[in-house]
Amino acid sequence: MKKLVFIFIALSGLAACASRKSEPIQQKMLVLDESEKNGQHHFMHHCQKCHPNAEAGLGPAILAPPTFLKKYQVRHGLGVMPRFSKNKISDEDLDDMMAYLKALKKF
Amino acid sequence: MKCKIGFLAFFTLILLASVVGCYRIKGIDGGGQIGAIEKRQPNGLDIALPPGYQIESIADGLTFPSALEFDEEGNMYVLEAGYCYGEIWTEPKLLKFGENGTAQTIATGTKNGPWTGVDYHNSAFYVAEGGTMEGGKILKISKDGKITTLIEDLPTTGDHHTNGPVVLDNQIYFGLGVATNSGVVGEDNEGFGWLKRDPKFHDIPCQDVVLNGVNFESENILTEASGDKAITGAYVAFNTPTTQGQVIKGSIPCTGSILRIPLQGGDPELVAWGLRNPFGLAVSPKNKIFITENAYDERGSRPVWGAGEVLWEIKEGTWYGWPDFSEGKPIESHEFKVPGENLVKPLLQKHPQTPPKPAAILGVHASACGLDFSKNSSFGYEGEAFVAEFGDMAPTVGKVLAPVGFKVVRVNVETGVVMDFAVNRGGKNGPASWLGKNGLERPIAVKFDPSGNAMYIVDFGIVKMTDDGAVPIQKTGNVWKVTKSGNNTTSSNQARKQP
Repeated sequence: MKKLVFIFIALSGLAACASRKSEPIQQKMLVLDESEKNGQHHFMHHCQKCHPNAEAGLGPAILAPPTFLKKYQVRHGLGVMPRFSKNKISDEDLDDMMAYLKALKKF
Repeated sequence: MKCKIGFLAFFTLILLASVVGCYRIKGIDGGGQIGAIEKRQPNGLDIALPPGYQIESIADGLTFPSALEFDEEGNMYVLEAGYCYGEIWTEPKLLKFGENGTAQTIATGTKNGPWTGVDYHNSAFYVAEGGTMEGGKILKISKDGKITTLIEDLPTTGDHHTNGPVVLDNQIYFGLGVATNSGVVGEDNEGFGWLKRDPKFHDIPCQDVVLNGVNFESENILTEASGDKAITGAYVAFNTPTTQGQVIKGSIPCTGSILRIPLQGGDPELVAWGLRNPFGLAVSPKNKIFITENAYDERGSRPVWGAGEVLWEIKEGTWYGWPDFSEGKPIESHEFKVPGENLVKPLLQKHPQTPPKPAAILGVHASACGLDFSKNSSFGYEGEAFVAEFGDMAPTVGKVLAPVGFKVVRVNVETGVVMDFAVNRGGKNGPASWLGKNGLERPIAVKFDPSGNAMYIVDFGIVKMTDDGAVPIQKTGNVWKVTKSGNNTTSSNQARKQP
C-alpha cells in the first residue's frame, strides 16, 4: 500500500511539473514523422483548445500521464472531459495522437 | 492473480482520479489574477522565440494600445483604444512614432472607444471605433489628423464592439461583435456596464430567424425590489420572454457580422454572420479574409463551456453558427455543457446553414485578437498567420486551471496546426505580471512592416482580473519588434515613449 501511495504521489508530482515543450522554449524545431504529423493534426482539432501544446489551460497538462491512461480517458471521457468515440477519432488516429504526444514529450 | 487485477484496477482508478478529478477540485487560476502591480519594464530577454529570432521593446508607457500600422514611408503609427473593460474610458488616439523615438498625436477621438483596429490605404487611415457610448463607427483619418465618419450608429454598445477594419478591392471590411455572450441578455451584461445604460439593447440577426422559445430566468437587476425575477429570451431586450415559432426580423447592420462599405462610405453590405466577436481581420497572401472569433464564455443566463477561439476563413454569404454552434459544432454537444449543468439548448428552430469547419481552433478563453500573415520568406513561415492571444479574463469568462494565451502563435491555415511563436520564458505559461517577469503581458495585435522583414506585436499592458471584473492599468502598454538574424531592418536604438 505504501508503494502504491508513493507511485501515486510521484505521478501526481510529474504531472504537475511537466515541462513546456514548445519550439521557443526548447530552442529547436519540432520534427515529426508522417504518423506523428497525422496525430498532431487530430490533436489540433480535438485536444489543443483545452490542453494548448499539451500544457494546462482549461484542462490539465497531459504529457506526464502514461499512454494507456490517456487513451482510456479519450474513449471514456471521465470527469469533465467529453468522450471521443471511434467515429470521431479512429483507433489508428488515436494511436497517431499518442505517437505525437510521445514525440512532444521527448522533444 | 485476482490480487494483481484488483491492485491494477485500484491503481488505475487512483491515476484516473488524479487526472480527471483536477478540474472540480482545483481553483480558478487565470493569468489576470495578480496582486497589486502598477508598472512594467518590458524586457525582451524574458521572451522566448524560435531559434534565430530576436525581440525588443521599441515603445512603452502606452495606454491601452490596440493596433499598429505603417504608412508608405515606413513610419509607424499606433492606436490607443481609449477604452478597456472595467468601464475605463481614456482618449482614443492615433500616434505617429518618429525616428527620434518620440510620439506625436495625429488624431484624438471622443468617449466612444475602443478604437480597435486600423488599416492604411491610399494616404488615409481607416479606423474602427468600438462604440461603447454612441454606437460603432468607421472613421477615415487623414495624415494631418482630419477625421471623417464613413458610417455610424453601428449596434455595438454591448459586450463586444466594432472591429477591424481591412481594405480589400476598394471596400472596407469590418466586424461587429454581438451584444451578449450567447444571445440572451442577462445579469452578466450589467457586469459589462451597458445594460443599465441601454436596457432595451439586444442582439440583431442579419436575416429573419425563428426562435425555439427558450427563455431564461435571472435576477431582475433593473428594479430595486429584492427577489424580483426577469424572464428573457433570445434576440430580445432584458426581461422580454419569447415564444416558440416567434420570428425575429433581420436587419443590417446586425450584430455578430462582417460587413463592408465602399471606401468613400455608404450603406453597409452583409459579407458573413453568425460570428460571436470577430475581432481581428487580415488578408492572406492569397487575398482571402481571415478573422479571429472570440468564442463563448461560461457566464450569463446561457453559459457555454469549452468553446475554443476560432480562426475562420471568411466566405461571402456564410453563416458561421452563433448562437447555436461553436467551432462549427452544435452547441448541444456534450463538450459545450457546463460541468454539472444540463446540455445547452439551441435558440433557433431552423439554422440558416450548416456552418463550415474552422481554419484552426485556438485555446479556450485565449482571447485570439489581432493577426497578420508572414509574406516574406526571409522572415520565415511564409503564408502562416500570426495571432496575438490577449489571454484569459478568468474568472469573468469562466474557470481555467492555468493561464491561457498571453503569447503569439503561428497558424498553418491549410492544416490548422497551431504552434507557439513568442512566449514568456519559464516553467509556466502566463503574462509577465503573473510570472513576476518583464516579458509579454497581453498581446493584442500583430503587424508586419511593409518589407515583411520585421514583425511588431502590440501589447495592451496589464489587465488585472478580480471577482468584480477587469482592472486595467494605464501606461503599461508597449510595442515589441521581432526580427530574424541576418534580416536587414532598422534597429531601434532608442526606446520610444508616449508623449
